[in-house]
Amino acid sequence: MAAKETNFKCLMCGHEYVGMFDPQNVTERTCPKCRSNSVRKMPGKTADVED
Amino acid sequence: MTYSEVEAVSGFVGNFNVTVRKKARYVDPTACTSCAECAKVCPVAVPDEYQQGFSSRKAIYIPFPQAVPSSYILDMDNCLGNNPIACGKCADVCEKKCIDYDDQDERVKIEVGVIITATGMDVYDPTEYDEYGYTRYDNVITSMEFERLICAGGPTEGHFIRPSDRQIPKTIGFIQCVGSRSRDGRGNPYCSNICCMNTVKDTLLLCDHYPGVEAKVFYMDIRAFGKGFEDLYMRSKEEGVKYIRGIPGEVVEDPASGNLVLTVENTTTGKLEKHELELLVLAQGVIPRKDNDVIKKLLTLSSTSDGFIMESHPKLKPVDAPTKGIYIAGCVESPKDVKDSVTQAGAAAARASILLNAGKTKIEAITSLVDPEKCNYCGVCSKVCPYNAIVAADKKTKKLPVIIQAACAGCGACAAECTQDAIIMRHFRDEQILAQIEALLSVEPHKHLVTFACNWCSYAGGDNAGTARLQYPTDCRLIRTMCSGRVDQKFIFHAFKHGAPMVLVSGCHFSDCHYINAVHWTQKRMDRVWNKLDKLGIRPDRLILEWISAAEGQKFAKVMRELESRVKQVTAEEIEHTMKLLAEQDGKGKKKKNTAGREAEVKV
Repeated sequence: MAAKETNFKCLMCGHEYVGMFDPQNVTERTCPKCRSNSVRKMPGKTADVED
Repeated sequence: MTYSEVEAVSGFVGNFNVTVRKKARYVDPTACTSCAECAKVCPVAVPDEYQQGFSSRKAIYIPFPQAVPSSYILDMDNCLGNNPIACGKCADVCEKKCIDYDDQDERVKIEVGVIITATGMDVYDPTEYDEYGYTRYDNVITSMEFERLICAGGPTEGHFIRPSDRQIPKTIGFIQCVGSRSRDGRGNPYCSNICCMNTVKDTLLLCDHYPGVEAKVFYMDIRAFGKGFEDLYMRSKEEGVKYIRGIPGEVVEDPASGNLVLTVENTTTGKLEKHELELLVLAQGVIPRKDNDVIKKLLTLSSTSDGFIMESHPKLKPVDAPTKGIYIAGCVESPKDVKDSVTQAGAAAARASILLNAGKTKIEAITSLVDPEKCNYCGVCSKVCPYNAIVAADKKTKKLPVIIQAACAGCGACAAECTQDAIIMRHFRDEQILAQIEALLSVEPHKHLVTFACNWCSYAGGDNAGTARLQYPTDCRLIRTMCSGRVDQKFIFHAFKHGAPMVLVSGCHFSDCHYINAVHWTQKRMDRVWNKLDKLGIRPDRLILEWISAAEGQKFAKVMRELESRVKQVTAEEIEHTMKLLAEQDGKGKKKKNTAGREAEVKV
């Protein structure tokens, strides 16, 4: 399965962004804003959030 | 076995089964005397890979002078054809009749106790550094090409000539760190270790072979650590080699002379300088082998973020791979010179012989077991195991999963992923961890941050913060697991059920995971738990995930400080509501179980 654009949300600073997600190739997530690793992959399809 | 490839590896420490494909040579190495008559008549000429394409070879050839065995091989990709035989000249002239066009690849199965991986590295291709004109200008070469040109066994028999006009260059420049220590998206961020001393050696060779030649080295730092290296660097300077601190921004060729004009900011003087050179050498960096992924898959190894194979412990087990019975040596682990590679190879051989001579191996008592009463043969445990240490269950035949104790490293990912609680993790049993949670939340639970920390990184990061006298709140309570992969979702819910305001799960960074990729399961599981919390109406941001390495004491303290303020923000009402919600969920779960049990009884 190829990587898909997915919504992510940082649970430390609340920053939401769109990133690539590949279930076959799990990579370390880091919030681009606060560098926390508490980045949640939001359920559902890609929504319009800050890129 | 040379000219062979490992195709499959199964088994575990002391009992590896390896399948090796011996590639067809089409020449009998026991009969071939390397007389070279076959190569003389071969009509095919292709660029010689060993000579960096500066000369050609035939389709029947010896790959390089020191090849073992020293016999010819037939490159069937470039031969005019063997089925039907299109040329056959080599076979006609071979007196020993050692050419066999019908030769086939052979698969050899061998049983070994240990495996040493010393598959080496590749060199960086500087094409993407377009400003240096490597693909545009003939007189811009790489350090590997330099080696071939100055080597007595090279295409020019050691006569150092430049490619454009075959004249001996009088001014030669070297640009360091091409593809190394780069942060602009090109090349690699790490130092390739060997390029500085390689260039120092090259300049000394030049000065020795061609007295009077002018050599200039453009560098950002010369890293000459190691026995005798600083002396060598000084000798190079004494020979008249100019070391200019600054990485060139542009190289332009004078089409008439073929000379190169290089523009550089000399950071020592702060002035912009132009240098005219007759030849430019790019000191290319070292990169992991392109087929490292295949090696990783075959041997269940992991790699660091730079792509080199990861060792079991950087200080205490530098030649052991995370998988027991596998050792690593040389540039497969990181860029290093010959001396370091030989040292590491010796260490790997010694480590391997300890195991082989003992004939048996000791394993940590922290391994997993299957509870046959609870297992439902789903097979998840074997899929999760990073070491392939679990022989899969079979639902049809009701065959239980088998955990190979010698191969199990004790990460606990299988126990955490098992939905039936059918995996028992010795010394980190569910009951033990649940009891720890209850104990640490028995007094003033609303004040405490429940922290799960992995043994190797996060827990050590906490130690690091302590030894560095970094201040962090005293209200965090640590529960150590061998790997964050062991943190079962029920531990997190148990903590919330017992009044924890917040839970922190911390583990190694992905590139530092001591259990190959067990940490991947932690992240996947956290996604599931966040979704569950959301569904239940509990704020997902009360569960925090952080990767903290053993060296990141500062990060550990910072996270703890940040979370202390968040713990205070969780109100008593919210905690009570969470506890009530989870108690209700528990009740529903039990009711469901009882109903299912009664239905089963009725069916019986």
